[in-house]
Amino acid sequence: MAGVVKAPGAFAITPHKVSVCILVNIYASPSQISVPFPFSSVSQHNRLGLYLLALTKSCDDILEPKLDQLINQLREIGGLLDHWLTDHVTSRLSSLSSPDDLFNFFNELRETLGGPDSGVMEDDQVILDPNSNLGMFLRRCILAFNLLTFEGICHLLTNIGIYCKEAISSCSSYELRRVDDSGNDFESLSEDENMDLNLVFKKINEEMEARKRATEQVSFHLHLPKELSTLVEDIEVSADPKSEHNDKGRESSSYASGELLRDVDPNGGVFLLTNWQIQGYLMEQADAIEKHGSSFTLNAFELTLRQLQKLAPELHRVHFLRYLNNLYHDDYFSALENLHRYFDYSAGTEGFDFVPPAGCNSFGRYEIALLCLGMMHFHFGHPKKALEVLTEAVRVSQQHSNDTCLAYTLAAMCNLLSEIGFSTTSGILGSPFSPMISVGTSLSVQQQLFVLLKGSLKRAESLKLKQLVAANHLAMAKFDLTHVQRPLLSFGPKTSMKLRTCPIIVCKELRSGYHLISEFCCEGSTMTADGAFSTAWLKNLQKPMGSLVLSQDNGSRNNYNPFLFFTQPSSIPGSVMQLVGSSYLHRATAWEIYGSAPLARANALVYATCFADASSSSDAALVHVKLIQHLAVFKGYKEAFAALKTAEEKFLCVSKSRILIMKLQLLHERALHRGHLKLAQQVCDELGVLASSVTAVDMELKTEASLRHARTLLAAKQFSQAAAVAHSLFCMCYKFNLQVESATVLLLLAEIHMKSGNAVVGLPYALASLSYCQTFNLDLLRASATLTLAELWLSLGSNHAKTALTLLHGAFPMILGHGGLELCARAYITEAKCYLSDPSFSVSKNPELVLDPLRQAADELQALEHHELMAEAFYLMAIVFDKLGQPEQREEAACSFKNHVMSLDHPHDVEDPIQSDTLLNA
Amino acid sequence: MSSKESCRIELRTAIRQLSDRCLYSASKWAAEQLVGIEQDPAKFTPSNTRFQRGSSSIRRRFRTNEITSTPPTGVAYVSTPVMEEDEAIHGDFYLLAKSYFDCREYRRAAHVLRDQTGKKSVFLRCYALYLAGEKRKEEEMIELEGPLGKSDAVNRELVSLERELATLCKNNTIDPFGLYLYGLVLKEKGNENLARKVLVESVNSYPWNWSAWSELQSLCTTVDILNGLNLSNHWMKEFFLASIYQELRMHNESLSKYENLQGMFTFSNYIQAQIAKARYSLREFEQVEVIFEDLLRNDPYRVEDMDTYSNVLYTKECFSALSYLAHRVIMTDKYRPESCCIIGNYYSLKGQHEKSVVYFRRALKLNKNYLSAWTLMGHEYVEMKNTPAAVDAYRRAVDINPRDYRAWYGLGQAYEMMGMPHYALHYFRKSVFFQPIDSRLWIAMAQCYESEQLHMLEEAIKCYKRAANCNDTEAIALHRLAMLHRELDQPEEAAFYYKKDLERMEAEEREGPNLVEALMFLATHYKTQKKFEEAEVYCTRLLDYTGPERETAKSLLRGMRIAQSGFPSMDVEHFHP
Repeated sequence: MAGVVKAPGAFAITPHKVSVCILVNIYASPSQISVPFPFSSVSQHNRLGLYLLALTKSCDDILEPKLDQLINQLREIGGLLDHWLTDHVTSRLSSLSSPDDLFNFFNELRETLGGPDSGVMEDDQVILDPNSNLGMFLRRCILAFNLLTFEGICHLLTNIGIYCKEAISSCSSYELRRVDDSGNDFESLSEDENMDLNLVFKKINEEMEARKRATEQVSFHLHLPKELSTLVEDIEVSADPKSEHNDKGRESSSYASGELLRDVDPNGGVFLLTNWQIQGYLMEQADAIEKHGSSFTLNAFELTLRQLQKLAPELHRVHFLRYLNNLYHDDYFSALENLHRYFDYSAGTEGFDFVPPAGCNSFGRYEIALLCLGMMHFHFGHPKKALEVLTEAVRVSQQHSNDTCLAYTLAAMCNLLSEIGFSTTSGILGSPFSPMISVGTSLSVQQQLFVLLKGSLKRAESLKLKQLVAANHLAMAKFDLTHVQRPLLSFGPKTSMKLRTCPIIVCKELRSGYHLISEFCCEGSTMTADGAFSTAWLKNLQKPMGSLVLSQDNGSRNNYNPFLFFTQPSSIPGSVMQLVGSSYLHRATAWEIYGSAPLARANALVYATCFADASSSSDAALVHVKLIQHLAVFKGYKEAFAALKTAEEKFLCVSKSRILIMKLQLLHERALHRGHLKLAQQVCDELGVLASSVTAVDMELKTEASLRHARTLLAAKQFSQAAAVAHSLFCMCYKFNLQVESATVLLLLAEIHMKSGNAVVGLPYALASLSYCQTFNLDLLRASATLTLAELWLSLGSNHAKTALTLLHGAFPMILGHGGLELCARAYITEAKCYLSDPSFSVSKNPELVLDPLRQAADELQALEHHELMAEAFYLMAIVFDKLGQPEQREEAACSFKNHVMSLDHPHDVEDPIQSDTLLNA
Repeated sequence: MSSKESCRIELRTAIRQLSDRCLYSASKWAAEQLVGIEQDPAKFTPSNTRFQRGSSSIRRRFRTNEITSTPPTGVAYVSTPVMEEDEAIHGDFYLLAKSYFDCREYRRAAHVLRDQTGKKSVFLRCYALYLAGEKRKEEEMIELEGPLGKSDAVNRELVSLERELATLCKNNTIDPFGLYLYGLVLKEKGNENLARKVLVESVNSYPWNWSAWSELQSLCTTVDILNGLNLSNHWMKEFFLASIYQELRMHNESLSKYENLQGMFTFSNYIQAQIAKARYSLREFEQVEVIFEDLLRNDPYRVEDMDTYSNVLYTKECFSALSYLAHRVIMTDKYRPESCCIIGNYYSLKGQHEKSVVYFRRALKLNKNYLSAWTLMGHEYVEMKNTPAAVDAYRRAVDINPRDYRAWYGLGQAYEMMGMPHYALHYFRKSVFFQPIDSRLWIAMAQCYESEQLHMLEEAIKCYKRAANCNDTEAIALHRLAMLHRELDQPEEAAFYYKKDLERMEAEEREGPNLVEALMFLATHYKTQKKFEEAEVYCTRLLDYTGPERETAKSLLRGMRIAQSGFPSMDVEHFHP
């Protein structure tokens, strides 16, 4: 009742537990020989023991297995003993016909347990240690039985009767069961009066319909129509054994109906597993929801939760799971409602892994509610509201001196501030921060973020929250990657600081995240690891391997061990793996920014191979995106699109997935290269739509979209418009402190001015971009800025060709080592142009010096289908051949030139498989 | 409406039929209404009418309008023929079964009737089975309490009953009583649509079964559902509508229906109690108290609805009356949820919150879904500063009835007490959503916005405005509005609200610091506005009060006189400091 949290260990005796007790009794029958009667070998004996252990710990469902399920599993386990075991269990169960039989049974059980003082024991005698897992189980059963009232014993007896009857009827035939169960559940199903059931079916259908519709809409967003037919299969994201409910949802509605029938079943043959197991189950489901996001089935799980709530009304954790489920299916109102309900009931003290500190008992821990609420608002894209709530969370946790919650809240705030562009926080971050930000409110958002990060890190370290420390290190690395550290106080002796980001610091931060994997010590509860292991073990009984074991009984001993080894889950909890994995992702990104393509790729590959199991679906998609982008830049579009196709099959294409965004990016680039400007603009607009969806504005995507818009305009030779777009983009980047993006925009501006023939105006932009690149160590971007600078010098006149060439040669190592195909080709062409325009250079003397880079460029551009640059290369080649007096080759080059110019002018003549089935039918 | 006499005849027959079928609470209700019908003074001697306590002075005082016993125009009432009784053949078995039933031996009763096929016998058998199942269910509820709370025990007879009644229904061999039972079973099985249909059919063919009406009422949770019902007109429908309007919080409609009904059933205790409850919801406590006093005089052993009376006494802080009431109900029936609730209220009023919680808990043990007990217990926990327990209690109330604005308000208050105003706002929002006409809720929400942690004054102003619009009896809103506008440097608006507040205080003849404050502000405001005449009025009024304000007023007046008498130098000085 009100305000009282029940002890989690409470335990009720059920028919299933009785049959487990019978099995335990067989396993540890008080006999004198080392291998008791029915077993033929030690391994057989051990296997039953393992099975029993797994039965008491697995957490794959909320309900205890029925007798027929138990018998099936015994069949897998028992081998030759199968019949003996099942017969024994069923006959023992059916022999319990009066309350007195139950009394005698439990008295017998007591003899199985060795006493604590049974010192005189022969070595080979089988005695169950009362403190072992099975011994504890037995003791709890006996205790629970002894606590039963007489009415309780009567109920147990009836339930055992039902439990046996169900098994028998399901064993014989389906029809029989129908009659036997007096038809109540089936009839109520067939009549359309069963409202509840129909409602659920309707809901499931609606969900399916909605998914269909969603995918249909997506098909406008360049989605392959094939996804329509495969949408049901889309749900199976991975072959993860834990997420059994995915399978359940997929197994069409027949399963759901079965589950609901259990719910309706008035005879009361339904029993929950132990509290411990249910909590474990709920935790696993929570993990699964977080991992699979919106591809987790909403209604099937909702059904289970509803049933659980009905059976255990005081288990409030159900509301939290409901909240999670709604959260990941973007149902704002239900999520909000369930969040509040959960914390109202539990006061934040149920279900969370927390160490109850001494003073906190009388008071609820509602600050956790605030933390969750803040994160919910963040998830739904209400950053301002989230910040308000988190501010309150900070204040309340300070008030109640809940340091752990405070540390987590601060980390959440850092995340919020770094993810979402705030131009100002004044008025939001208010008074509660004064102890931390003593400097006052004149700080910029970035400075505030830095202070917060530092504070959060320090707090997490002092509280020894290993995972939080690692996460904070990652956040710090991210911050260091994109922000120059300035002294917070702009006076005093410290002004000698260099205004640059430091890659070493970033690496250091990333590396300190790794310590987690060696250091973590059961911070997460042991429940999941233990329970997951047992669940996996039981699951594998049904795998074909089980039958393999059955078929060769003689060698059973050898078969069991690898079998066990196979299912052994790693001892590292999933969350830790996820953190470590994301540090690899961060590394890949860092190297991408710093401009080392091979290292970026290597890190992405490490992530994709080693952490794919533990990663959430969005992270996994991200790493695929990175790899595909790499392919596109270095191998051309054909391979990239092939890879994209496999990736699309792997991930459910929801409306705003990273995969979809990347597809748009690839299509845009290719359209630009081919000269399909209309298509390019269309794709660009779609990106823009994705950037500012209903939920929230994605700054990163918004920059990307307008950058591409400017590029398209540039390609269409609308220079003034392109410059205007780029300019406003730069202003936005400046406002929101997106400095890495600023460098790119400046470079684009320089290019725009160069192409429009104002090289002099372009120069300062290129130089500014260069200085940005230097500050942030963006080496590759710097090389390409140098290239642009060289081009600018070159277009100033032939007397600057020498300067351009020197610049170019300086940048060559970086470009050739890490640059993509386009960049290399551009560099080659520019080099050739430099030579050609140099008056002191004579072609006839050294033709290869010019021809060689041009050929290289033409080769590399082939994969990109970049008609404009190709035309330029062939044009130059033709000129060179003309000068050399080789008319045949000149004609050949001129012909290629003509072809490329033609296809640039008539872009739609080219056959395009991917484009034809996606965009054009939209 | 049909005449009193025909009504009386109908009810008399119905009572006999209902109690013959062991539908006791329905027959009790019908009998109450039968006695409630005003006797024809021509036929009865004065001594006879005295039984009917016609001389109540209160009745005359609060009779708002003269009620005519004619129905609203255009409504034709269906006169339902009174049912014919059948089966005298197996009457002996029926008599035995009924005796068993009356001794609460339901299964035995059902067994006796196992082979009987008459409609009446079939009904009684099914009804007995249903009650046997219910009895067992309640026992099991206690027996099956698991570690994680009570699991839902079910009535095991429902399945077979449903099947049998469905067949009867299909063969069209079911009488209205059978339909009522069928509806009951369907409702328990969660098949609400069909249950509604069946119950409507039952009340249309036999309208005097109040139990059927109340089941139907519990299935109509929204006005839309109510409007979708196809009910034939009968005076019983008026009772139903009045009752359901009250449930749907349409208190004024409900009240007018009841007052209409009172024209015919002048002495019905039931109607009187319902009117009291409706008036309670409209917060007309004085009248409610009078009605209940009258009711208790006529029906001293009544426990039903007395919890509402105790709430009134609690609000009016009548210690002795409340204790008297508590004493009375406990002598009548100790184990009624209402009795426990009344005692809980008494202890709460005495400030003994622990004891009060004990009694609310007892009430909840007797009826787990007793809404007001959960809410009141929440209030007690708030008083005891046990906020988590309070939150839990309120939340349970809200989950039983999500429209209970008091519990939402309590939740908001509890969180505000814990220093989480932003979190509390969610609950206040819920509460004002369900009861937008209650100024107290708006004021609570405004205070939340105003709190130093949030300091969202614009929103606070919006809330206070809403509060001021819905009859803010304590007059907090206007004053706060004025202060907030002054704080936000909006003197025009501030002056507007100070003026309104002032008018109000004048109308209610209240005095106090607020009045002085308003006068002071208005005086200075008009002075800076150069509206000297108004300023002078306020200043002169201020002179009536003692304290520093008086001196300030004096100096203000002096300053104005100087300014008015036209010293240009002063003006220049004023404008160019």
